Amino acid sequence: MILQNLSIKRKLTLITMLTSSAALILSALSFLVYDLVSFRHLLIQDLMTQAEIIGYNSAGAMEFKDVPAATATLSALTAKEDVVTAGLYGRDNKMFAYYSRYSNLIPSVLPAHLQDKGYRVEGGYLQVFHDVTLNGERLGTLFLQSDMRQWSLRAKRYAGILCIFVLISSLFALLVSSRLQRLISRPILHLEDTMRMVSANRNYEVRATKSYGDEIGRLIDGFNTMLSEIQQRDSALRGANEELKSRTGELEKEILYRKQTQEELLKAKHAAEEASRAKSTFLANMSHELRTPLNAIIGYSEMLEEEMRESGKSDSVQDLRKVQSAGKHLLSLINDVLDLSKIEAGKMGLHLENFDIAPLIDEMTTTLQPAAAKNGNTIHTQVAKGLDAMHADVTKVRQILFNLLSNACKFTDHGTISVDVDQSEFEGRNWIRFRVSDTGIGITDKQKENLFHEFSQADASIARKYGGTGLGLAITYRFVQLMKGRISVESEPGKGATFTVHLPAQVLAEGFESARPTAGNDVTPSLEKSKIQNDTILVIDDDAAVRELMSRFLSKLGFHVVAAANGEEGVRLARQVRPLVITLDVVMPGCDGWTVLKKLKSDSALAQIPVIMVTVVDNEAMGLDLGAANYLIKPVDRDRLAVLIEKHRPTRPASITGASAPSLGSNPQQHRREPERRGSGKVDHAKDLISRR
Amino acid sequence: MPKILLVEDNEMNRDMLSRRLKRKGYSVISAHDGEQGHQLACSEMPDLILMDISLPLMNGWDVTRLLKSNPATQHIPIIALTAHALVTDRDKAFEAGCDDYDTKPVEFVRLNEKIDNLLTVKKS
Repeated sequence: MILQNLSIKRKLTLITMLTSSAALILSALSFLVYDLVSFRHLLIQDLMTQAEIIGYNSAGAMEFKDVPAATATLSALTAKEDVVTAGLYGRDNKMFAYYSRYSNLIPSVLPAHLQDKGYRVEGGYLQVFHDVTLNGERLGTLFLQSDMRQWSLRAKRYAGILCIFVLISSLFALLVSSRLQRLISRPILHLEDTMRMVSANRNYEVRATKSYGDEIGRLIDGFNTMLSEIQQRDSALRGANEELKSRTGELEKEILYRKQTQEELLKAKHAAEEASRAKSTFLANMSHELRTPLNAIIGYSEMLEEEMRESGKSDSVQDLRKVQSAGKHLLSLINDVLDLSKIEAGKMGLHLENFDIAPLIDEMTTTLQPAAAKNGNTIHTQVAKGLDAMHADVTKVRQILFNLLSNACKFTDHGTISVDVDQSEFEGRNWIRFRVSDTGIGITDKQKENLFHEFSQADASIARKYGGTGLGLAITYRFVQLMKGRISVESEPGKGATFTVHLPAQVLAEGFESARPTAGNDVTPSLEKSKIQNDTILVIDDDAAVRELMSRFLSKLGFHVVAAANGEEGVRLARQVRPLVITLDVVMPGCDGWTVLKKLKSDSALAQIPVIMVTVVDNEAMGLDLGAANYLIKPVDRDRLAVLIEKHRPTRPASITGASAPSLGSNPQQHRREPERRGSGKVDHAKDLISRR
Repeated sequence: MPKILLVEDNEMNRDMLSRRLKRKGYSVISAHDGEQGHQLACSEMPDLILMDISLPLMNGWDVTRLLKSNPATQHIPIIALTAHALVTDRDKAFEAGCDDYDTKPVEFVRLNEKIDNLLTVKKS
């Protein structure tokens, strides 16, 4: 384990050193063993030869029992340092003579197991036994014992040499290996250093240096390749990051810019609205200034004409007529401009009333007969039978028809102009369709694009040839929109044109839908339910005057008012708008108030809506029995009505109390009167109208 | 012969209208500002008043209000004449107590009808 954690440098040195030392020791040992074994063999041979020589030399002395001679022969062994003892034994195995270097005892009788010829090693001593013979006759045995001094000396010396040699060579191996290991360890350590640098500094630009083409070299190559890959990715990532930052910056700038633009646009819008209001005021004032002198021009010329006729001087009448006609034309232009400015200023109101369509068409054709005759045109009218009475602004319907018809007369020469009126039902409502067709010059597709825009006659040359301001159709379009109708045109140049106007048979009061008219050839009427919830009062009364006064009065209290002229329409509107409160008349043609009340109370969706009866019929018990919330008898006490309705308002936005009915006329958008109404001269007109019922 | 008071500051219009009314058989007295109009109405007790609105000294609305709040002159029908053909003016006229309303330039035939109507109502 300790080895495993050593540095690679040490490991390499150690491995090299250990390996070489082990090899060295192993080879030296084998050499040593071989040498000692062969040296021992040599020693044995040598001792046996010695024994043969001494045996031969002492054979005579034994024959003759000459002990001193035998002893002298044996003492020759003194030269042999390693022979420690020697003995001659007789046939009887008894000691005959002996030699001993260190006065060692030798056995006096040769032991029986030693009597064999040969050698043996026992107790660190080499023992040789040799038969002493003379002329083939065995005289006894020579015994030599050597302490193998030479061998052990040699072995010791060899071991010392070996140790020193191993030591020196190990040191040498250490020296060499510690030098040579750098071949391997240096590039690895360099690689390690590089890696540490990279990970510590996150600097992917450094590279390891390749020293050799071996595996480590390839490893460094691989590492460098990896590094450049990482560097590439890192720089790509950094680039993406930078780009992201700059994009975010751009986006922020863009947002800021848009905000500024939005603010500027808002300012511009306000400025434009302000300018538009200023323009409308200017136009209104201008038209006032223009009308006053025009008043004099027309008036005087009419007066002059009358005077001339009476005095019989009719020669200048034609010229006076021209003055009048020019003045009236100028007046109509001023009126058109004024109408448009009123529409744009949002001051054009609707004066809704019931009227029959057929007489209106008759009136229009009569009015336009002279204009038609001027170009040799004939007017055909076809009004469907059984048309309902229309509830709309008759003046505007009249002007719509007048504009369409006078255009038809103007742009047709010796042709036919036809007016068709019929009734249809779609989108759950009743619509009156007016179609005005002519066989005149027609309208090209390109001209259609701007047809309903202000001051855009189809062609500048048309203005010269046919006259007009180009306002007629724009006003027509705006009027149709005001009444939530739609207008469209079909035409083939040279063959004539057909204008189709759809108007609701029952035009709803303003405030019912507050959206301003937008450009386009076709506008679909729609209800904006969210705007009419919660503060809408439904007035059901067949008397237009009552409806108008009620709506005017209730508008002042801050309610939206929806009016219905009959019971069926009342129920339908109740379902449609879900009003806060319903006021209901009893005496109505067709479906009367009692029936309406029953219908309302039997409809689970409508039963919760409080119904206030407003009628001349004095039958409170019946009304309350049928589910009415309150019962008021005409002429209506407006203060009481206000209090009753206020009770049902969820939250009151203004502190208008029922006790003081607000004065009429401060808000032009929500109430109006017919200019032609013949008042009775009473001051309180409104009360008068309510109580007429 | 019904007596009509014409309150109008523009000389030409006043001259023209009064002449035409006279030709129709009315007796016409005229005033050229609001105060004079009020005085004449009180002193002369005309059968009907034609009231211009933009008048010097006192405007037509104020004159009308004064006359309609005075029990002595309350019954005199007043037709407002104004060049402002805006809805606001029409409403203001009725609010002030005018009995009818017409825009200038006067369409004489129409105005004549309105005068006739108001005089007939008054008689009955």
